Amino acid sequence: MNLCSSHRPTERAQPWLGTIVSIRVEGLAEGEAHRAIDAAFSEIATVHRLMSFHDSASEISRLNCNAARRQVEVHPWTYFVLEQAQQFSRASESCFDISVGAELVKWGMLPAPVEESVPQSGSWRDIELLPGSRVAFQRPLWIDLGGIAKGFAVDRATECLAEYGPSRSVVNAGGDIRVMGSDAEPIRLGAPSGDCSAPVLELADGSVAGSHSVLARRRHRDDLRGPHIDGSHRSPVLEDRFVCVIAEQCIAADALTKFVMAKGARTAEVLRKFSASAYVKDPGKDWQHIGAEEAEMQ
Amino acid sequence: MRSKLVFLPLAGIVLAGGPAYATVYLSVEQAQARLFPGATFQATPVTLTEEQVKAIEHASGVHVLSKQLKAWRVSTGGWFIADEVVGKHEYIPFALGLDAHGAVKGIEILEYREAYGDQIRNPEWQKQFLGTDGSVKLQLGKNIRNISGATLSSKHITDGVERLLVTYELVFKSSAH
Repeated sequence: MNLCSSHRPTERAQPWLGTIVSIRVEGLAEGEAHRAIDAAFSEIATVHRLMSFHDSASEISRLNCNAARRQVEVHPWTYFVLEQAQQFSRASESCFDISVGAELVKWGMLPAPVEESVPQSGSWRDIELLPGSRVAFQRPLWIDLGGIAKGFAVDRATECLAEYGPSRSVVNAGGDIRVMGSDAEPIRLGAPSGDCSAPVLELADGSVAGSHSVLARRRHRDDLRGPHIDGSHRSPVLEDRFVCVIAEQCIAADALTKFVMAKGARTAEVLRKFSASAYVKDPGKDWQHIGAEEAEMQ
Repeated sequence: MRSKLVFLPLAGIVLAGGPAYATVYLSVEQAQARLFPGATFQATPVTLTEEQVKAIEHASGVHVLSKQLKAWRVSTGGWFIADEVVGKHEYIPFALGLDAHGAVKGIEILEYREAYGDQIRNPEWQKQFLGTDGSVKLQLGKNIRNISGATLSSKHITDGVERLLVTYELVFKSSAH
C-alpha cells in the first residue's frame, strides 16, 4: 500500500483574482501540505498584484496609464502572459483580444482605470513586446487580462505544488481548474440541466475552463452586454451557449474558452493546434465535442 | 491528459452531499495556526453598539450583519477575526488576520457550501427524485467539489474584509490602548 494514501487531502480557499480560489493536495503530511498550499497561494497573490485591472498599483494599470507614452518594464510573468495573449489573438483571428478593456469599461463591466478619456480604437496589434521585458502601446489602450490571468495563476500554483511532490493536486480559480494526477477529478459543468441529469467532466492530468454566456450578462442602457467579447468586431457574444475547453495548460483552456464561446464549432482546427478540445452546448441542440480527439463522451 | 464527459442523475449528486454540498476548509484553530504560526490567542469578543454599527456602515458602505464579533488578540501582535458574509445563497464563514498595524496579513475561507443551482435546492423539486431506483446509488460517493462555468464572485468577501478593516479602525484600535 502506498504510504502516501494514509494522508488525508488538505484543501483551503482564499479570495484572489476576483473569485474564490481553492487548492487541494493529496499524499502529503498535513504540515507539508499547508506549506505547499501557502507557497501556491503566494504565487497566485503575485499574479493578482501584477495583473489586476482594478488595482491602480498593478502592472496592468501602469501599462494602461503609461505605455502609450513610454516603454514600461514589466515582471517576466506579465511579459509571458502578454506574449501568450498575442499568440491566442493571432490563432483566433483577433477574436481573443486583451485590449477590450475599453469596451468592458464602457459597458460597466469594469471600473475606469484612469481619469482619462476611454481609448476609442486600437487592438492587440498595438501592443509592442520589446526586448528586456519592456512593453509599449502604439496608441492608448486599456488592456484587461481577465480572460487569461486566472488560467496562468492556476498553472503557476500547480507547478509550485508539484515541487512538494503531492500524489495529486486540484487548483480551482473560479471554474478554471487544473488537475495534476492520474485519478480523475469529477467536475460539475455549470451548463443548464434541462432534464434529470447533470453534465460532469472527469478530468485527469489536465485543465478545464468553462463559461456560460448567459450567467454574466447584464443590461447596459437598452442593450444586453456580457464579459465575452469577440475582439475581431468589438461586440459582445450573446449566444446562449455553454462552453468548456480542455487543455494541458490552464492558460490555454482559459483563453480558448472565449474563442469557442464566440465561434462555436468553427474553432476545431485551432483547438487541435493547441492539443485542446471543447464541449459546447447550444440551446435545443445536443452536446458537441470539437478539437483534439482524446476526450470521450458517455 | 484524460477527460470524459458523463451525465449523472441530479438526484445522485444531490443525495451524495445533501441539498448543498459543504466543503470545510479549516477550523478556527487551524486558520489561527496558518495565519499566525506559533502565536497564542486571547479571545476578545466584541459587542458593537448601535452607534458603532452605524459608523461602520457609513464608513464602509457595507451592511453589518451581526453586532457580535468573534475576535482574538494575538500574542505576537495583531488580531484574528472570524466572521461571515452572505454569498449568493449561503453564509460564507471566513477568517481575517490583521498585523499589529491593522494591515491584512491573510484571509482564509473556512467553509463553503456549494449550491448546485436554484432548482435543485427547491425541496418540491428534489422530492420527485426521492426513492428512485438503485441505479442512482451507483453515483453515490461522487464527491463533486468543483464546478466549472459558473464563476463565483469574491465581492462579498472583499466587502466583508472592508467592513472589518473599518471596524478595526473604529473599535479595535482604540481598545488596544
